[in-house]
Amino acid sequence: MSTAYEIRETLLKIESISHSYNGRPILKDVNAEIKNVHVPGREQGQIVGLLGPSGVGKTTLFRILAGLMEPTSGKVSLGAEGLPVKRGTVGVVAQDYPLFAHRTVLSNLLVATDNDAAKAMNLLERFGMGEHAKKYPIQLSGGQRQRVAIAQQLLCSEFLVLMDEPFSGLDPVAVHNVIKLLGEAAAVDEHKTFVLVTHDIEAAVETCDTLWLLGRDRDEKGQPIPGARVQKVFDLMERGLAWREGITGDPEYLRVLAELQDLFPKL
Amino acid sequence: MGIFTPNKVISPTTFRLILLGEAALFLILWLASPFKVLPRPGEVFSALGELWRGGIGQELIVSLGLFLQALALSTVISMGLAYLTVIPVFRPLALVVSRGRFLSLVGFSVVFTLMLGGDRPVKLAMLTLGMSVFLLTSLLSIIAEIPRSQYDYARTLRLSEWRVVWEVVIRGTIDKVFDAVRQNAAIAWTLLPMVEALYRSEGGLGVALDIQRKYFHMDKVFAIQILVLCVGLFQDYAIGLIRQIFCPWADLNKERSDA
Repeated sequence: MSTAYEIRETLLKIESISHSYNGRPILKDVNAEIKNVHVPGREQGQIVGLLGPSGVGKTTLFRILAGLMEPTSGKVSLGAEGLPVKRGTVGVVAQDYPLFAHRTVLSNLLVATDNDAAKAMNLLERFGMGEHAKKYPIQLSGGQRQRVAIAQQLLCSEFLVLMDEPFSGLDPVAVHNVIKLLGEAAAVDEHKTFVLVTHDIEAAVETCDTLWLLGRDRDEKGQPIPGARVQKVFDLMERGLAWREGITGDPEYLRVLAELQDLFPKL
Repeated sequence: MGIFTPNKVISPTTFRLILLGEAALFLILWLASPFKVLPRPGEVFSALGELWRGGIGQELIVSLGLFLQALALSTVISMGLAYLTVIPVFRPLALVVSRGRFLSLVGFSVVFTLMLGGDRPVKLAMLTLGMSVFLLTSLLSIIAEIPRSQYDYARTLRLSEWRVVWEVVIRGTIDKVFDAVRQNAAIAWTLLPMVEALYRSEGGLGVALDIQRKYFHMDKVFAIQILVLCVGLFQDYAIGLIRQIFCPWADLNKERSDA
């Protein structure tokens, strides 16, 4: 059963991004776009998964999207105005959920809010972390640390938050918790947009409403040609898999998984 | 026999018991030592009393004053130089100064004497230089080991580059800086007797040690060493305490706290 929605303005546009390192192409003509998806009657942000095998260039694209690296050519622009991406305008949650070890949980959030304690506490409460506000990051569990890191990035980013391998190294229960947490975080605001860089196909299909598959083209002998691009886009809203819990038994979910598993080795 | 198992976590009480046991064993070995040249514990402690009555306390104050001054100066100089390396133009300077650890302090004695005159300033300059080159090396290594992800993380929070320096390079490493200062303060006590023995007019533990060594008063040599050890242990404890006050997060999840 799919939810009614409408596609609105552009939130993020990636135009002809190419990047080489020491003359070796890593990315070649990457194009993609995220648009605001409006679901009547509720705040619904976007969750986009960037899937691809290890070493294909996901981290390079991640750093470019975060404004931490300039591409060799092409541009990334934000919002309907097409403002160029700059570091600090995009939230970044790295794989190890970094926080300042020398600051308490609340103090970490204050860095991102220009010392607006009320705003920081409000978000901590929403994420169920209010009682841990005075703890240091080292005193938190992995899951609690994730919540604080995401909350911090939600506070300081305009609307876009990038997450690097959020499911990496987690057990199935923890993966389920992250999926739930991301759903909650995306529901904070209609414009909140998460881009998850991952190679966990199942978790990505469960979490995201759109999937981008990053991969390399092949030559006539089947060998990969250096330089990855977005090979295919999966619109999971259209396929009725977005914003629903318990989709793992859905035949459409299994079909998407099968398609992805078939495509993945060819990327 | 958990105390022989690798990585076994032991309680503070067990640690103290092991410490006491090993101290007792050391004492027995010392008492039973076949080397006649080694003074016996009783002789050392009676020499310590004799030295104390003879005014070794005054020498200790002289050395402690010099040590504290040099520690403060070398910490300020090393931290200043290390943090300046965030600006590329200062990096070669810091690297050159840190390589000074391969140079002998004695080689600077004449130059410092001619430049500064007077025993006290020369001693202070030599000790400060000797401590700074080692502390600077440790601090440069602490800064170099900050991963790129930490800088990236701070930048994604829209912090200015100077704020990144403050949060990541200065505040983010302050607990490790305290550790480096603590180690450096210990190194200082190995340099201090040498410097004091070169410039003797003010006295100090180094001069006292040198005199007793020349007359082969091994009981008194050992007594002075024990006095220095006690001062060192107290200084270690004090720096550790200050670290705990300023960096309460640093030891929260440590498996072992006996270092």
